Amino acid sequence: MSVGIGKRLKARRSAFDFLCTVPALILFAIFTYYPIAELFRISLTDWNLSRATQNYVGLKNYEWLFAGRGWSQFISSLQITGLYTLGEVALTLIFGLTLAHVFDRMTRWFNFMRVAVIMPRYILVSSTSLVFMWLYNDMYGVFNYFLSLLGLSPVRWLTSRDTALLSLILFSGWRMGGYAMLIYLSAIKGISEQYLEAAEVDGANGWQKLIRIKLPLLAPTTLFLTVTTIVSSMKVFQQVDILTQGGPYKTTMVMVYQIYKLAFEDHRLDRASAEGFIFFLILLLFTAVTMRWSNRNVSYDA
Amino acid sequence: MSKKRFRTALKTLLATLIMLIVIFPLYWMVITSFKTTDEVLLNTPTFLPMTFNTNAYHDVLTHYPVFRYLWNSLVVTAGIVFIQTATSILAAYGFSKGSFPGKNLVFVLVLGAMMIPIQVTFIPIYVLISRQGWLNSYIGLILPEAASAYSIFMLRQSFLAVDNSYLEAAEVDGLGRFRSIFQVLVPMCRPTVVTMVILAFINGWNAYFWPKMIITTDKARTIALGIADIRMSFLSMEALNMNQIMAASCIAALPILLLFLLFQRYILSGFSKAAMK
Repeated sequence: MSVGIGKRLKARRSAFDFLCTVPALILFAIFTYYPIAELFRISLTDWNLSRATQNYVGLKNYEWLFAGRGWSQFISSLQITGLYTLGEVALTLIFGLTLAHVFDRMTRWFNFMRVAVIMPRYILVSSTSLVFMWLYNDMYGVFNYFLSLLGLSPVRWLTSRDTALLSLILFSGWRMGGYAMLIYLSAIKGISEQYLEAAEVDGANGWQKLIRIKLPLLAPTTLFLTVTTIVSSMKVFQQVDILTQGGPYKTTMVMVYQIYKLAFEDHRLDRASAEGFIFFLILLLFTAVTMRWSNRNVSYDA
Repeated sequence: MSKKRFRTALKTLLATLIMLIVIFPLYWMVITSFKTTDEVLLNTPTFLPMTFNTNAYHDVLTHYPVFRYLWNSLVVTAGIVFIQTATSILAAYGFSKGSFPGKNLVFVLVLGAMMIPIQVTFIPIYVLISRQGWLNSYIGLILPEAASAYSIFMLRQSFLAVDNSYLEAAEVDGLGRFRSIFQVLVPMCRPTVVTMVILAFINGWNAYFWPKMIITTDKARTIALGIADIRMSFLSMEALNMNQIMAASCIAALPILLLFLLFQRYILSGFSKAAMK
């Protein structure tokens, strides 16, 4: 008898536990899983915003993307996104590691400075993008003023096809450097002093300690930053929309911006969906590959 | 000894210099907003405004519905934070302390949602929202960004660390399961919950991509979108009106800046926790 009651209680308990997860699951079902399935379905139709009807056309949009007129823009957007991602990852890691070594003292003033250095990441991105638009201004921008003080000729930061992407990357590096510093600092604190002392006894200098001991021990942190930065920078949109709108001459036309334009400016929901779905597969592949690679190559004992 | 002290002084100097470079753009935003148009266009920029002129604030506040944008942002962000906190706490309980058949499989579905960002799925979501008549509405801005797999994951990790005996003791005391989530589990994990709420608030306030997709009128336009649109309205006269654009940027950034400074301890500790994984 008592066993039966226990069983019923248990069943009620697990029903309750499951119900707790349901509100979140419903939201994910409606706004994540249904849309990704729907995205694939739309990509098989000829739907555009100026027409009410949609017909099944098979792989026609993928044909347009891979073997038709969509290919050159697709591959160029992919390259630009890749370059941007590479640049942002590199700058974030370099700035982060450098700042972590400069701002590692535990005094009040250093505490204050750390907070100041992290701030750019938390200030409204619209605001900071607009400031950089102003700093980068060809005529009145203060960056060009600084260059003129050094006797250098002005740079057309955002309006020249040689520098626009680089300017976007610099902006992102400025935003993310302090954050990466913070992550590195907490990891460096976790490195056992014994390792460093032992190295000092063996006569290692600062550089050797950094290269031989700290960097290998920081590998999991570097990996964490690399993966999270890749995933976020492949989706970059806002800076591009405010600073360059994909120009000049489409040199900053990153993937998401290109899909957005295809959908809402050219009204081609069908083609945009096909490109969006391929982009999703690329994102998935990237994350899976970095995860696998990291499990094999990074040691987590420290 | 003195050599060490010299090195410390050198390091402090270097660090201070780097910090000044990093925060220079923010300084530039603030002082540009206090300049007159003439001063903004000087060939040799001034690094302190000649006079602290508040005309730009006056102009931008009278010509644009900035307060409306701020209010919209507040409503939308509050909605996102409320729904996200409630659903995340409940789900995190279910996935940590709860037990039901298929728990791990369902949790994988939640983690999988991290791999499908709205930047990929915005077209079908746009269609869905527009069919409901929710373009240019608060609810259209809130619902698609209400659930967060990151928040659930973060809270679950923290709930897992709480010993089961606390929940059992609450049960002996006659506390229902639902109430013990909010009266035992949440208070014990307060720092993580606070961090989650603040990050949700910052992300909600910062949101740009999704609002950009569905907002075309001032009715529900949020501040993040609003200041970008203010700048667009000046078209090629941007430089002439840069003080107004910077004034709007300052107003828009202030709420989050205050929140960040007030809660920086929580935010900073939250991130070092995330990095430890």
